[in-house]
Amino acid sequence: MRGSGSNDKNIFPMKIEELEKLLKNRFENNPDLSFTVYDHENKKIAVFFISYIVETQWVHESLVKTLLEGNEPWTNKAILNNIPLAEAEKKKKLQELLDGLLIGKVFVYIEGEDAALSYLLLKKEKRSLVQAETESLVLGPKVGFTESLITNLNMIRWNIRSENLVMEKYTVGKQEPREVRLVYIKSVANTSDINTMRQRLTELDIDNVDDSSVLMQYLEDSSRSIFPQFLSTELPDRFCYSISRGRIGVLVENSPTSIIAPSTFFSFFESTEDLYMRWNVGSFLRILRYLSFLLSTLLTPIYVSVVTFHYEIIPTSLLVNLGQSRAAVPFPPILEVLILELLIELLRESGARLPTKVGQTIGIVGGVVIGTAAVEAGITSNVLLIVVALSALASFTAPNYLMGTTARLIRFPMIFLAGTLGIVGIVYGMSFLVVHLLKLTSLGRPYLAPIYPFRWEDLNKVIFRLPNDFQNKRFISYRPKKAIRYSKKDARKKRDIDE
Amino acid sequence: MEINVKKKPDLEFQAFYVFFLIASIQIGVGILGVPRIVYLEAEHDGWISILLSYFYIVLVVWTMIYILRQYKNADILGIQVDLFGKWIGKILGTIYLIYFTIGLLSILITYIEVVKVYIFPDMDNYILGGLLLILAIYTVLGGIRIVVGVCFIFFFLTQWVHLLLIQPILNFDILHFQPVLKASFNEIVSGAKSTSYTMMGFELLFFIYPFIQNKQKTNKATQTAIGFSAAKTLVLTVVAIGYFNASQLTRREWPVLDLYKLQTFSFVERFDYVVVAEWMMVVIPNIVIFMWVITYGAKRLFQISQKTTLYIVAIILFICIILISDHFFIHKIIDLSSAIGLWIVYVYPFLLLPWVWIKNRSRKRKGNEKHAKA
Repeated sequence: MRGSGSNDKNIFPMKIEELEKLLKNRFENNPDLSFTVYDHENKKIAVFFISYIVETQWVHESLVKTLLEGNEPWTNKAILNNIPLAEAEKKKKLQELLDGLLIGKVFVYIEGEDAALSYLLLKKEKRSLVQAETESLVLGPKVGFTESLITNLNMIRWNIRSENLVMEKYTVGKQEPREVRLVYIKSVANTSDINTMRQRLTELDIDNVDDSSVLMQYLEDSSRSIFPQFLSTELPDRFCYSISRGRIGVLVENSPTSIIAPSTFFSFFESTEDLYMRWNVGSFLRILRYLSFLLSTLLTPIYVSVVTFHYEIIPTSLLVNLGQSRAAVPFPPILEVLILELLIELLRESGARLPTKVGQTIGIVGGVVIGTAAVEAGITSNVLLIVVALSALASFTAPNYLMGTTARLIRFPMIFLAGTLGIVGIVYGMSFLVVHLLKLTSLGRPYLAPIYPFRWEDLNKVIFRLPNDFQNKRFISYRPKKAIRYSKKDARKKRDIDE
Repeated sequence: MEINVKKKPDLEFQAFYVFFLIASIQIGVGILGVPRIVYLEAEHDGWISILLSYFYIVLVVWTMIYILRQYKNADILGIQVDLFGKWIGKILGTIYLIYFTIGLLSILITYIEVVKVYIFPDMDNYILGGLLLILAIYTVLGGIRIVVGVCFIFFFLTQWVHLLLIQPILNFDILHFQPVLKASFNEIVSGAKSTSYTMMGFELLFFIYPFIQNKQKTNKATQTAIGFSAAKTLVLTVVAIGYFNASQLTRREWPVLDLYKLQTFSFVERFDYVVVAEWMMVVIPNIVIFMWVITYGAKRLFQISQKTTLYIVAIILFICIILISDHFFIHKIIDLSSAIGLWIVYVYPFLLLPWVWIKNRSRKRKGNEKHAKA
């Protein structure tokens, strides 16, 4: 019951027995609430905390020991001066006590004083840093975020050592409050974007947030769209790369996934690796990713449309092969495709849920055994098997998992359109997709940013990558405060031959 | 009614995009049949007709921009009310809107007919018509910015089609053009007149002008656009006349699509199927622009909300699409559209010019009197 009237009142001074009763009552006689009363120099001193979220050893050594060994009569002032612990605060309200206990504070109350003292001595179980699982890199730092917000903030601070790095603190969730950090670089990030994000975070009125992915859906511009509008990443490397280019990051306590906004459609195909590679290799890989997005959404629909309606399109020599391979198949193409796509989706989902070692086996069993058997049994054609496998493979190349799943799902309406209207249906589907992408915004910025509204300077950061002497500007579609990164003149000094 | 358009600054777009708006609305379904129509009138001198009509259009556009520049931020609906008073102005504005609706209908049914002839002979009109209208509604609901975006992106998505012209150009026969100027002047002029339906669309400038951010660049963008469309039409006509002989050309309803058919690859044999489908991306910007102009015009004239007009017009068009499937009736609608267009688009701006002059002079005189009194 946050914010109800009695909790906000000043409750001190009060009798220690009353305080104990009050707290135990609030915590429904929870056995974990440790409430100990000491008698020292004729004064009652209460020390209370929740046992397993507090460093008990520190409580004993620094707090209780000093309290009991001292000879003077304790007052709040005396404690503040004698206890060797930093982060002491005076708390007067019941609500502050309750909140404090839940986040690992230890309270000391001396009967008769007008406030309780609190020390932050939290103990948090956390896993060690490991390589990120969902996003893997060939080059560059590979460590991933963990569930501990403090560890994550620590990693970011070490990455971006600038006094302009701001990490604003917010609390989201009425019933189960959770700490959320808004991270940006003051001198680069666009002010109106920061304000929009601040507003969305403070105006969020929900009981609890389960994870950063859930928070992301609440913060997004259009939660109905199939396309993710904010980028989520597990890699501090990618997070810092985006932050230092003027975007805004959001970190949520207990979540290893961070949110980056604003994002464009193209930023989902961007990997920090593109920067670590040579510019031409980087460009090639990036174009390959766009191509594979197209392949994964269009390849099977094209197969369906061609086989169902327009065999005239296929040259005779190819048509013979295709016809032979399809001769034994009793189903119409659309059904054939749906069966095989469903099979692939099943394999993929089971592969993702199973432990790694078993998952690989399932992949081999599914891919090789079932595939071959299906062709021999005459359920599908060889050509289709290649097509479906290729499009499944292509959907894995997106550096962002969310965009990969989107591509997976878009395929199905496309297959239906292709099955009913052939190639006209496919073009219609593409057109609809383009219009939809045009209408989307991310934090109020257009989703198809450097394409429309068109910005010539930004193209080399999105579709391909040019050598570093062309990269002297930040991505200006996001309107960062400082657009220029370094002077172009210095980067490209022209020299004559033999100088 | 306000003469000048008041709009939020975030609805404005750069003059650079005017090129794409005008270029995409000019190239629509009309261009598919243009070589034949011109050939029927001016035979192999048709290319002169296209040049002639281009020069005429340059003049028209220049006049339009001159008229628009007399006002601060007005569109044709406001200008008409200013010149002719509230009633006549609104009636003239309504004629514009009706003309756009007929134009939109003609585009929709022509495209559906092309798809029916080339790919799905048994398809019902309402399937494709309904789908296209749904897409149009979805786009127009996003407002002018999305409409401009659709024109811009779809322009680039459709330009690859021209690569397919390489094959017919390689098989080009220059002899088809000789002797030059065999057609009489009258024939050439009527050939130019027959291109009017294809080249139409630049009247859109009268409506989007208030939304342009840097208005001083409008002329350049518009002239480039009409130059681009005219060049495109010219190239297609020249290639068609050079490739087909007389009887082949006159027998084909849409010779341009047959030009795209010639190129083959080892993986695709009949490109005309692909092009017919791809042409949807040429048609969609047309539909979307017309739809937006109709809704916005109705809002300006009668203060009807754009959403209401959008849904009503879509339903009316949908009913018309279901009812019209007869080839000759479709031609009648196209003829009607081009007949109205001929007057509204090609003649009307010149009629408007003297009125603007008179109005300006009287306004100046009034201004001077006021000035003198003060």
